[in-house]
Amino acid sequence: MDERNQEKDLVPRQESIFQSVSKIISSLKDEWEYSGEITPETSLFTDLDFESIDAVVLGSMIEEHFNRSFPFAEYLASVGEKEVRDIKVKDLVNFIHQNLENQTLEN
Amino acid sequence: MSCLDRQTVLIGLDGASFTILDHLMEEGTMPFLKKLISLGCRGELTSVIPPLTPPAWISLITGVRPGTHGVFNFLQFESPKSRYIKWLSFRDIQRETIWSIVNRHGMRAGSLNFIGMNPPPTIRGYIIPGFVSWRWLRKNSYPEDLFDRLRGIDGFDVKEMALNFREEEKAVKGCQREEYEDWIWLHIRRERQWFDVVRYLMKHDPCHLTAMIFDGLDRIQHVCWRFLDPAYALKAHAAWEEKVRRLCLQYFRNLDEFLEQIVDLAGPQANIFIASDHGFGPTREILYLNQWLCQQGYLKWKDNTAMGTKSVAGQSEDIESLGVESPYRSLLHLDWKKTKAYAATASSNGIIIQVAGKRGEEGIPANEYFSFREELIDKLRNSCLDPQSGEPLIKEIWTREEAFAGNFIDCAPDLTLSLRDSGFISIYPSEVYCRPRSQIMGTHRPEGVFAAVGPAIRKGEVIPPTSIINVAPTLLHTLGIPIPSDMEGQVITQIFDPAFLRAHPVETGAPTVPPERNQDASPQREDAEGQEQIMLRLKSLGYV
Repeated sequence: MDERNQEKDLVPRQESIFQSVSKIISSLKDEWEYSGEITPETSLFTDLDFESIDAVVLGSMIEEHFNRSFPFAEYLASVGEKEVRDIKVKDLVNFIHQNLENQTLEN
Repeated sequence: MSCLDRQTVLIGLDGASFTILDHLMEEGTMPFLKKLISLGCRGELTSVIPPLTPPAWISLITGVRPGTHGVFNFLQFESPKSRYIKWLSFRDIQRETIWSIVNRHGMRAGSLNFIGMNPPPTIRGYIIPGFVSWRWLRKNSYPEDLFDRLRGIDGFDVKEMALNFREEEKAVKGCQREEYEDWIWLHIRRERQWFDVVRYLMKHDPCHLTAMIFDGLDRIQHVCWRFLDPAYALKAHAAWEEKVRRLCLQYFRNLDEFLEQIVDLAGPQANIFIASDHGFGPTREILYLNQWLCQQGYLKWKDNTAMGTKSVAGQSEDIESLGVESPYRSLLHLDWKKTKAYAATASSNGIIIQVAGKRGEEGIPANEYFSFREELIDKLRNSCLDPQSGEPLIKEIWTREEAFAGNFIDCAPDLTLSLRDSGFISIYPSEVYCRPRSQIMGTHRPEGVFAAVGPAIRKGEVIPPTSIINVAPTLLHTLGIPIPSDMEGQVITQIFDPAFLRAHPVETGAPTVPPERNQDASPQREDAEGQEQIMLRLKSLGYV
């Protein structure tokens, strides 16, 4: 295995990222009236009734969890341009995974 | 009374100015504040450039200027190379805070309602951040079990305590006539929630440094300035206006009672400080800065961009939502290929110069930056004029080197403006670049308030205006902590009793340490989590 592949292996797999994101969102359940399971298909705005600022704070929590910055603002702006302005958990997981891979390769 | 051997309490009053407070103290609405100030020192506290909540409070809690702590606005560029802006978080604060410094010297510290303190760092004491929506407040407070304890407070309601971001827009766009009373009540109830939390924590979890912010003043002054400023408020009014004014006064009367109880709880040995992040004054007009830039040929809207957003009064006014989409929405209106300069947010009153290769490929060549900037400054001074009177609309212009010298200058606006009525700009398109507001509103001024009282403090002293960056070292000095050598602020020695200063001369200590970051949650550690358990759970959820 060359050095680049070894570095890539340090990026957590999507399943692991989903687990982390799910854990962060699930930790809010005490505060708000959502009793359903968080799944990859869960939509932040439609299912969880997020306001836009909630998505921003979720981004901060994810950055804190992974101890690194992600281009969430650019990501959210791209969501804002779409016809359906919502984010599924699986989309968020893919975004994080992609950026972790990119950051690892850049380093 | 506290059981601690020494205690300092900082009561932040967001947007407080002596213009209003002096009047309220004199007319009897705030008798305790009047008495408190008479027993200590007072003076004007000069805010940062621009006088805005995030850079100002963070300068206060770090003792350095924005160019050094890296916070310029509510919304910041994601990186020096990104044109996208994001909401402020603790990761953006690049200097150690007073709470961390106090902790390092073996003392406990509490932080309540300060912007930027989320996600919260680990602390010996507690943190409940400000500007966090109710859903996230428990998760963003420290320690993790704090909210479980707070739920024991009679009447505790996190929804009332946290900022309601939808309602917050009214601070900028104004209220409908029938909304004023609800707006004021909202903040009366919010302050009660924060006070109950402060009282509980001071009783049950005392800290050597307790710092809190009451921020309803800012919100109420934005919307209700004409009911509070003696220059307008004392004139004859209709019954409805008198009712709104009385409700505003009720807010300040409650605040005065909270101050009295907090000072009482701290006890006679505590040193008490009152400070605001900026002052306040009236604003009568709106400058649509991007529209002016467009008319001067520096900015191009996309072809389908609609003119103006409607205010409650039916006029086109500034509505910068605190949410996610709106700041990006405004940037989405720009034709980047033909835009050389733009204002990204209303609150910063800043202009970004689009330099090719810096934030995208479009923009002016890098080697033309300084000449372009000079040309733009000249135009702003000489061509951004009141369409009626021909007078300049811009009072002052700072380059980023003048306003934000420091390590993080690359994330700061290239130019920062102070308008002739100190108002905030609008970033939206409009048919005209300047128009009067439908009603006088309140806006920020650099002249905030500072007061101190306690066993270490002189009595009856009025000090000259002092910078907000001097508050942090002054607080540290009252706790006997040497001032970090890299702190830009200095101890405000004029406020101290000469005997106290002789016994406790100001000492300079080691520099600050980098802000604590979460070092435990690395991706490697993520991968090391029980993969088997994760896979089982994911399978049950249908993810794999």
